[in-house]
Amino acid sequence: MRSGLVIACLLVAALGGLPAWTQEAPYFVTYDHHLEEPGNLEIATSSTLGVPRSGQKSYFAPYTELEYGVTGRWTSELYLEGQSTSGDSAVFTGWRWENRFRPLAREHRINPVIYLEYESINEASRIQKEVVGNAPDFAEPNSELRQAHAHELETKLILSSTVHDWNIAENFIVEKNLSQDEGLEFGYAVGVSRSLGTLASSANCRFCRENFAAGLEMYGGLGSTRGFGLHDTAHYLAPVIAWQISDNSSLHFSPAIGLTHGSNPVLLRFGYSYEIRGLGGKLARLFGGTP
Amino acid sequence: MRGIALGGACLLLLLSVLFGQNISYQPDPGWRVPPEAAARANPLASKPKTAAGGKKLFLRNCVECHGEDGSGLVKKHAADLQLPIVQSEPDGALFWKITNGNPDRGMPSFSRLPELQRWQLVLYLRSLRPAPPQ
Repeated sequence: MRSGLVIACLLVAALGGLPAWTQEAPYFVTYDHHLEEPGNLEIATSSTLGVPRSGQKSYFAPYTELEYGVTGRWTSELYLEGQSTSGDSAVFTGWRWENRFRPLAREHRINPVIYLEYESINEASRIQKEVVGNAPDFAEPNSELRQAHAHELETKLILSSTVHDWNIAENFIVEKNLSQDEGLEFGYAVGVSRSLGTLASSANCRFCRENFAAGLEMYGGLGSTRGFGLHDTAHYLAPVIAWQISDNSSLHFSPAIGLTHGSNPVLLRFGYSYEIRGLGGKLARLFGGTP
Repeated sequence: MRGIALGGACLLLLLSVLFGQNISYQPDPGWRVPPEAAARANPLASKPKTAAGGKKLFLRNCVECHGEDGSGLVKKHAADLQLPIVQSEPDGALFWKITNGNPDRGMPSFSRLPELQRWQLVLYLRSLRPAPPQ
C-alpha cells in the first residue's frame, strides 16, 4: 500500500505543474454521469476512518485511485487499497478495476451510466466505496480476514440529472462474489450536490464560493437474494464538501453518520485528487506514437 | 541534403501539430442545436462586466483544447472560436454546446458548471476576435 502511495506521489511530482480544472462532484460513494475527460489522468488518494462501537476497534483504510478518460464515453479506474486496525495490524487489502460507460452522448433529463468493476480483495477491506448486502463483521482480526480472498464482480446503474445548479444522482448496485456462493448482494447510493457559487468572480482566489461544492449523500445495503430488505444492513447519511484548491487539485471531506446498528457510528472520509491533462497524448509522443 | 530537407519538413510538421491553430476547423454536421435551445437569450447580456469571470472560466476549462486566444489547437481537433461560423451562432446555441458537449469528437459536457457560469463563458466567447495583422 505504501509503495502504491509513493508511486502516485512520484507521478504527481514528475508530471506536476500542468494546468487543469477538475470541478468535481463532492461525493465519495455516489457517482454522477460526468466521466473523466479523454486523455486525462486523475490521481486521488482517500481514506476512510471508521469510528467503532464499544467493543470494536477503530480502523483506517486508505486507497489510491488512478482514473483515466479512455474516450469521451468510457472512463477506466484502478484502485489499490489497504487497512490498518488499532491494536491489530496493517494489511494490503487488494485492488479493483472499474469501468464506466455512458451510452447517450447528449445531456438528458436523466443520464444513465453503466458501471462494471472487478475486485480482487480480501475480507479485511474497509474502504467502503460501496455498501452492499448485510452489515459487515468488524470483530475478526486482520490475520484471519486477509486469508479470505474474494474475486467479486460489481455492477451499477448510475442515473444522474442536472436540475438548475443541482446534481441529483441515484446508483443501484448489484455485487456477486465469484469466490463463494453468497448469492447476489444489493445496495444503493443517492446524492444531491451543488456548487456554492453561481457566478464566477473575476479574481483568482482560493476561497471564492465557486471553488466549493457541497451536498448530501446516503448509501447502504439492501441484503441479497438470500434475504432482500433492510434487516441487518448498514446505512449512512453523509454531508459532503469539496474545495478546489487550485486549477488541478481538490480536497474532499465527509463525516458519515451510521443509521443502523450494523453501521459504524461515524465514518470520516478524506480525499485529495490531482488531475493531469492530456496524459495520453504526452505518453504517445514520448514513445514516438501519434497522440 | 535530402535528409536535412526531410528532417526539416518533419520538424515543421511536428511544430505545426504541437503549436498550430485550427484554421481548417470544420464543424460536426451531426452536432445540431435544437431550435428552442438556440433561441434562449443570455441572462447576463446586460451585465458585460461578468465576462471577466467568463475569461477565468475559459482559462481554466477551455484553453487546453481551444488555446488562450480561442483559435483551437489542431492536435485537439478543437474549434477555432474566432471563426465567423462560430461567432455567428446565437448565444443559446453556444450555451447548448457548452452544456452538452460532443463526446464523440472530444468536447466534454460542462453541465457540471452552474448555469450562470456557462452563460459567463458565452459572454466571454463573444470577445474572441482574430488578432489584427502586424
